[in-house]
Amino acid sequence: MDDVITTRDLRKSFRSRRGPVEAVRGVSIEVRRGETFGFLGPNGAGKTTTLRMLTTLLPIDSGTATVAGFDVARQPRQVRGRIGYVSQLGGADELATGRENLILQGRLYGASRARVAPRAEALIELLDLADFADRRVVTYSGGQRRRLDIALGIVHEPSVLFLDEPSTGLDPQSRANLWDHIRALAAGGTTVFLTTHYLEEADVLCDRLMIMDHGQIVAEGTPRELKQQVAGDAISISLRAGGQSDGAAAAALAGQPYVRELADDGDGQVRLYVDDGGTALPQLIRLLDARGIGVRSISMSEPTLDDVFLRQTGRSLRDESEAPGDPGPGRKEVAA
Amino acid sequence: MKAARDIGLLFQRYAVQLLRNPVWLVVGFSTPILYLALFTPLLKNLVGDGGLPTGNVLDEFLPGILALLAFASGAGSGFSTIFELKAGVIERFRVTPASRFAILTGPILATMVMMFVFDAVVVAVGYGFGFSVHWAGLAVLGVLLGLLLIIMAAFSIATALVTKDISGFAAIINGINLPVLLLAGVLLPISLGPAWMRVIAHFNPLYYLVQASRVLAGGTLSGPAVWQAFAVLVPLCVLVLAWATQVFRRAVA
Repeated sequence: MDDVITTRDLRKSFRSRRGPVEAVRGVSIEVRRGETFGFLGPNGAGKTTTLRMLTTLLPIDSGTATVAGFDVARQPRQVRGRIGYVSQLGGADELATGRENLILQGRLYGASRARVAPRAEALIELLDLADFADRRVVTYSGGQRRRLDIALGIVHEPSVLFLDEPSTGLDPQSRANLWDHIRALAAGGTTVFLTTHYLEEADVLCDRLMIMDHGQIVAEGTPRELKQQVAGDAISISLRAGGQSDGAAAAALAGQPYVRELADDGDGQVRLYVDDGGTALPQLIRLLDARGIGVRSISMSEPTLDDVFLRQTGRSLRDESEAPGDPGPGRKEVAA
Repeated sequence: MKAARDIGLLFQRYAVQLLRNPVWLVVGFSTPILYLALFTPLLKNLVGDGGLPTGNVLDEFLPGILALLAFASGAGSGFSTIFELKAGVIERFRVTPASRFAILTGPILATMVMMFVFDAVVVAVGYGFGFSVHWAGLAVLGVLLGLLLIIMAAFSIATALVTKDISGFAAIINGINLPVLLLAGVLLPISLGPAWMRVIAHFNPLYYLVQASRVLAGGTLSGPAVWQAFAVLVPLCVLVLAWATQVFRRAVA
């Protein structure tokens, strides 16, 4: 198998005031050449920490990692020359222009001035930076800046590009535009490894993905395979407040033969999975009506990655607040 | 060879950043000039009976300003490191194969060049007010000032990388600044102080530089103060640089 990234039982702990925190607890992955691979999970799941270990930025506590044919712990220099990394922060020089940033970056990777200028020009073309490439970065919009960050990450034509939460903070239009560019890179043969807590991003971009929670991999596969784990259709019922409690609705539905799985979030919302929504829905409505359970709305959908996440972790990814983050570079963290 | 090339690239980058940030330049120029303009008049009355040697007070005071400038330029280096840490710039460089030593020393060299420009302005202004210029002495002093700047900047940058946030970093740097400055005789000669103070001063590297700076600016190239300053600053510089490079390499940022 032609693997670009292989890890075995990767682990990392940080010291905090409340004792050691195990951020990554035994992650084993294999990423094949040319594929777009994703880590999906809520903030604080350990995605960024894993990425920072793979990119030589953080020492590995235990386990092994091989990236682009070299051992990350023993041959960091060889790894650095073959990977591109775009952090959540980006890190372009604000007082320099986009082109100046690209040229410096290319030269830090060892290219001569003569070789780096045409490469910068090609990247400006590739990522649609031409309109603002000679303006200072401080004037860029979020989406423009992100595209420059990615250009900086691939200036040396790396065999694998790491993207940490590439579209966080972008408006929907810039996000869609960024996705087009990432897909174009992947189509050109670049192996892309990205982390995201956006379901749509994982679904749209990734050939294969892993769902990560509390430092561990909880599910792995193509988006289609993962969604097929949650068989059939998903039905969301929103109950009318003041009537029967959710408990009564959940109890009534749980006994029905056509209900395969049921999640009651205790907030007037019941989500359940059935083999065939078309036949289950009328029966379900009759049942609720007979029991006198008031319904505000019912919707049916094919399972999403969120259903996969809900099934694996018992929580919804959509409900995760933005507050707890991965320990990023700006945060106080000490290798344990 | 590769390190030298990387140092050159990062030196150039940092110098451009400095030049494009006029606020820095204005502050950098005004501080030493303000010291000269607002502190020298106070010293005039101390000459002779006040305890200072007779002669132009600038001859005594201006070398101290140069030492102060080297100390402060170096000590402030970590502030931009904190900023670059928060902006992801340091991480972007660390993930390239660029030499770790170059990532550390490129910005230090740019700060040093800027300091020499400020020094030249201070000497030129001082000359206008009667400071006697001894070129050879000033050249040797320049070497010592460069050493002190490297020591302070490497220390400051490494401290910034370890503390990672502005409040912790500022507390350490300010906590060190004041006692070191007061115990170095930068503004007033330490010889005016009591015996215990003169003893403590001998544990302060800046003290040796200030002592040497007065001797050198007076045109004397040799003498115990000068070689003592080299004997203290050269090993200290090697030590601090080794530590700072280690901090960078250990990947704590």
